[in-house]
Amino acid sequence: MGKYLVKQILQLIPVLFIISFVVFTLVFVAGDPVALMLPEDASQEDIQVLRESLGLDKPFLVQYGNYVMGLVQGDFGESFRYNQSALPIVLERLPATMELAIAAMVVAIVISIPLGIWSATKQNSPLDFFATGGAVLGKAMPHFWLGIMMILLFSVTLRWLPVSGRGTFSHLILPAITLGTGIAAEMTRLIRSSMIEVLSQDYVRTAKSKGIKDFFVVYKHAFRNSLIPVITITALQTSTVIGGALITETVFSWPGLGQLLIQAVNTRDMAIVQASVFIIAFLVILMNLVADVMYRILDPRIKFN
Amino acid sequence: MNRKGILYFLVACLMSSLFLAGCSSNGSSDGEGASKTKTVVDKEDKTLKIAMGTDIVSFDIHNHNNTSTEAVHDNMFNYLFKKDAKGEIQKELVEDYKQIDDVTVEMKLKEGVKFHNGDTLTSEDVKFTLERVATDDTLKEYPNYKQIKEVQVVDDLTFKIITHKPEPSLLHRLSRLGSGMLPKKYIDEKGWDHFLNNPVGTGPFKFKEWVRDDKIVLTVFEDYYEGKVEEWDEVIFRVIPENSTRVSELLTGGVDIAINVPPTDWERVDKNDGTHMVSETSNRNIMLTVRATEGYPTADKKVREAIDYAIDDKALAENVLQGGAIPTRTRVGPNNFGHNPDLYNTFRYDVEKAKKLLKEAGKADGFEMTLHSPKGRYLQDAEVVEMISGMLSAVGIKVNIEFMEWSNFVEMRTAKTNKDAYLIGLGNSMFDGAYSVDFYRAERFKGETDYKNDEIEKLLTESQVNMDPKSRAEQIQKIQEIAAEDTAEIMLYQEKINNGVNDRIDFKPTADEMIYAPSISRK
Repeated sequence: MGKYLVKQILQLIPVLFIISFVVFTLVFVAGDPVALMLPEDASQEDIQVLRESLGLDKPFLVQYGNYVMGLVQGDFGESFRYNQSALPIVLERLPATMELAIAAMVVAIVISIPLGIWSATKQNSPLDFFATGGAVLGKAMPHFWLGIMMILLFSVTLRWLPVSGRGTFSHLILPAITLGTGIAAEMTRLIRSSMIEVLSQDYVRTAKSKGIKDFFVVYKHAFRNSLIPVITITALQTSTVIGGALITETVFSWPGLGQLLIQAVNTRDMAIVQASVFIIAFLVILMNLVADVMYRILDPRIKFN
Repeated sequence: MNRKGILYFLVACLMSSLFLAGCSSNGSSDGEGASKTKTVVDKEDKTLKIAMGTDIVSFDIHNHNNTSTEAVHDNMFNYLFKKDAKGEIQKELVEDYKQIDDVTVEMKLKEGVKFHNGDTLTSEDVKFTLERVATDDTLKEYPNYKQIKEVQVVDDLTFKIITHKPEPSLLHRLSRLGSGMLPKKYIDEKGWDHFLNNPVGTGPFKFKEWVRDDKIVLTVFEDYYEGKVEEWDEVIFRVIPENSTRVSELLTGGVDIAINVPPTDWERVDKNDGTHMVSETSNRNIMLTVRATEGYPTADKKVREAIDYAIDDKALAENVLQGGAIPTRTRVGPNNFGHNPDLYNTFRYDVEKAKKLLKEAGKADGFEMTLHSPKGRYLQDAEVVEMISGMLSAVGIKVNIEFMEWSNFVEMRTAKTNKDAYLIGLGNSMFDGAYSVDFYRAERFKGETDYKNDEIEKLLTESQVNMDPKSRAEQIQKIQEIAAEDTAEIMLYQEKINNGVNDRIDFKPTADEMIYAPSISRK
């Protein structure tokens, strides 16, 4: 397994370089940040002076070369907006985003596991209909809209929870539910179908025929095995969670990576955009790897090679 | 048969509802949850909370040009001079000053001004501050201070500012962002990075905490040279980019002031028990920049005039902006040096005259033109552009509107690929009309508007080095008159700043958009 991990991690290096190239090119093509950094009444001369001082007048390859040289040394460049090294600014935001992502996952698991199992064991019952219908609805609701509705209901009308910001546990609830709902919907459907498949397996029928109670059949035998794909998918959902967090963070002014990235795109703060996308990509790849390893551990039939 | 399954499911449901309910008990700060549109008004609370749309950029006062950043800095740093509510320049840190010759001013600092770390403000600090921004061309505020040649220290409190050329707007420069006084000794000893994380100024509030994109916390400075501010112990600036979230925070009493409330929420804030809207004219004018370039229909002065006559500025201000604007024919607003009141709060609107002018210009059948506009940058910008298009079609001008994302829009301006016209809003952080009328300088806008007027050129050159305020003001006023007569651009209206406020406080926005806590009080 150790050998397998080392190999996987080594394979990450070229992938990360490809990402760096794509991100750099996209940001480069997106245009010149200098005009946005100066006020609207700045003269052409002022713009040119600043552009030169930032090295933005150099050709693409020279700029990319400098960027990669920096990357190798762990330097993601300097944020134009904050005039500080980009990486620490991005890393500083990571805990807030992780906190939100984990809380959203908890919400998703609490909703989806019981709902998914029950609708699988009670296929085509009204509850099943309700759960699958709810899942479609949950998936279809945009985070943005859901978030604003939650604020209006729970904060403005009922005054139960704070509107926005980060700090106490109560600040976490609305954004976590907003973000968790979409994932819960996806997971409910997945658990349901995985459970249905497992329930039709021979060993389940054998267990049933031996007279084991339904409850034990479902929870001791079927549930564990149906979890294998669920765990994989849960890990793969990282990108969905982070994607959703970008919007959720803006609605609830949650000071995480998403809010940082959106602000950086608006102000064309290249270094921050590059560093955040890079970190997000790295997280997604890492979670893929974790999923892969877990899959192999849970299902001994798959070998590490 | 599956009773345990049901039981487990119910337990799970119970857990999740507990999860939800458990949270609600700490969240509530309001004992009267039933009255849903009532905001808590706590008159005793000595913490002032303000919700802004964007975070501050940095504590490097020289390396940003962002009004909302200055709005926060204003509480921590002092300038040598300060503009009062009327826009007139008053002494702040300076006790006295005299003009020695056209390029030299001698100034004396007030005694006993202390930095937050206990150091006393001296001439050395002034020299350090102003020479840094006047000489380092990588700083974003450099263009506004490069006119300063050097600062000579005479004694601890006396110094001379020497400019390269006669500089009539020197005091304007010294009363705006970029001229907050920095502590030389502190920065020399601890380094610039330490300063950026632990900034120190001479202002009424001192730095406590900055969590990026979340909040900036300031606490009252006990040793403030004008006496400690008694009204507030702490000022918290919160960053809430999403408009509806910002308004919700105001409605629930989470913040005392919400900056930039969109027109759709004005009524909601006013009707709610415990909050109200306040507004003030900003220093930003909205206008159509038109091409005077040969070959464009708008090169003809008559066509530009026709467009001006065809647009009903009052209807824009009153209907689309719900009263949140004032029609104007000059880009120099009130409170600015050299403002021309004859051209303010007035507009030209006469459809018949517009048609007649088009006929005279040989365009009786109308023409087609492209109008670029950003969307969501200015108050109701898209609606305004659409209404203008409708008004122009009434006189036979077909407008093709092209909405652009802000950064693309900026790039279009820099690259000068603009077509017939674009809508833009321009402010003036200097509050000196000279900076607004500089937009008529032919050389500066070659390829972008190609507008040129010899008389304006002459007046611009003269006013630039004119050290006599009276005749300089007249020159700037004259330029506005010529530009309005010539319809150099189609001026629309001056925007207003619209803030939502909790009833517990007294707050009046100022045209410079500063949020100066000592001027805000509890009722």
